[in-house]
Amino acid sequence: MWLGAAAAAALLAALLSFRPAHAAIHHAALVVQHSSGNFITRCVAFAENQITGLQLVGRSGVQYEAQAFGSIGSAMCQLDREPSTVPSGCFGSGPYWQYFHRQGGGWQTSAFGASSSPLHDGDMDGWRYAAGANQAPGNVAFASICGAPAASATHMAVAPTQVNPAPTATPAATPSLEAFAPSASANPKAALTSTGPSTQPPKSTAIAPWLALGTMAILLLTLGAVNLRRRGP
Amino acid sequence: MIRHPLAWGAWTVAALAVAFIDRNPYLQAVMLLVVINVYLPYRGRRRAGVWKFAVALALAPILFSVALSRFGRHVLFTLPPIPIIGGNWTLDAVAFGASTGLALLLTVAAFAVLQTTVRSADFVAILPRPLYRAGTTVALALAFAPKTLASFQSIREARQLRGQRTGWRAAPALLLPLLLTTLERALQYGESLDARGFGSGRRSRYRPFHWTAADLVVVTASLAAIVAIAVLPAVPYNPYLDLAPAVPNPERLVAIGLLAVPALTSSLLRVDRARHHA
Repeated sequence: MWLGAAAAAALLAALLSFRPAHAAIHHAALVVQHSSGNFITRCVAFAENQITGLQLVGRSGVQYEAQAFGSIGSAMCQLDREPSTVPSGCFGSGPYWQYFHRQGGGWQTSAFGASSSPLHDGDMDGWRYAAGANQAPGNVAFASICGAPAASATHMAVAPTQVNPAPTATPAATPSLEAFAPSASANPKAALTSTGPSTQPPKSTAIAPWLALGTMAILLLTLGAVNLRRRGP
Repeated sequence: MIRHPLAWGAWTVAALAVAFIDRNPYLQAVMLLVVINVYLPYRGRRRAGVWKFAVALALAPILFSVALSRFGRHVLFTLPPIPIIGGNWTLDAVAFGASTGLALLLTVAAFAVLQTTVRSADFVAILPRPLYRAGTTVALALAFAPKTLASFQSIREARQLRGQRTGWRAAPALLLPLLLTTLERALQYGESLDARGFGSGRRSRYRPFHWTAADLVVVTASLAAIVAIAVLPAVPYNPYLDLAPAVPNPERLVAIGLLAVPALTSSLLRVDRARHHA
């Protein structure tokens, strides 16, 4: 029974580790909405399986100032030169940068700080400078920033560069992005950044650790079978 | 065969180090296999309760984590906004609870192996001289609790047989005989210790412990495993950041594999049950 349970646990862990082999280059989108209503969007390519929200901002080329708060993570104090000066204590007393993830066609408040939020291929982060809680950015589709997911999965060099917003819905509370005018970003050409060569294999394809793990499991199961047969309970 | 309590003590410390430090599911599964292998040659029917307790302890964090954590990206289902349990129930929370539960299971399993293989009196006997008295007192105190509980049950059953009440209103009538029984047992313990010359010097053994080659091999392997686990970088696992665990490096697998040495020696040398429980 114990051996069966352990084998089932190992099988479950192996299933959890499955990753598609084609996902070598990934893309994540960034939406930054200023208090004026202006916004910027960026598409960032990355070779890792995941990056953090802070890395997404950093690699997008958008200017930012963040402050670390120990184990809680980092807070965004200034983004794309807003506010003009970094407030004391990062947040100040008025509006602040609010952080959201795109989930199921809507923006969800992030449960973690940007430095602790993982982003995978096809994910989108949103920032909005506003006062009051849950002031989400306007709706925008991932495809309008990074292009179709299938096109962006394998060809980093020809990744789409459009940053033109194409809203999928216009909520009553927040204005449509069609009405927004893109702001002057510090480095508009930095919309696409790469973190490594496109031929870099993902870490999970290394065969040696898997062989070692499988060999160890087989040895232990064999040893258990020998000890089980030697003496009954 | 491994008989020396210090050898089992070293193995237990190394096993606990793995249980506390390594949260990677692959390493936890391998460690579980190791503990089962070490336990198998010494298994008996009486220890089933310990394992049931360990499994219950492992399942509890899963229930708490999935029911109370609203974080994670892999949503299983969503409950309406009921206080505490409403919201997204996620696979990430299940994985986090399972990882925590497995660490608890490994901890209890390591102590279950120690309890199966070494008598508490043997542990007290090898304590350093300054700790011998304190160790004996702690061992007696630990043994006192279950005996007091058994006395309480006996008194309660005796009252039931006589047709007397046993509810909370009868507590004073239950506590007084319990107090007297406990005091009487304490006096018996004191007289027993006095009769055995407690406090006059170190207790002698009819069969003193001798180091065997197997004991030395286990101690060496356990110490090497402790050093390797402390020095080698741990493979972190946080299902909220990435549900799929990273595959562990071979060096760390070998370090955990060293803890299977007791199982290996047991498979090569037959376990002498009569001698082991002597």
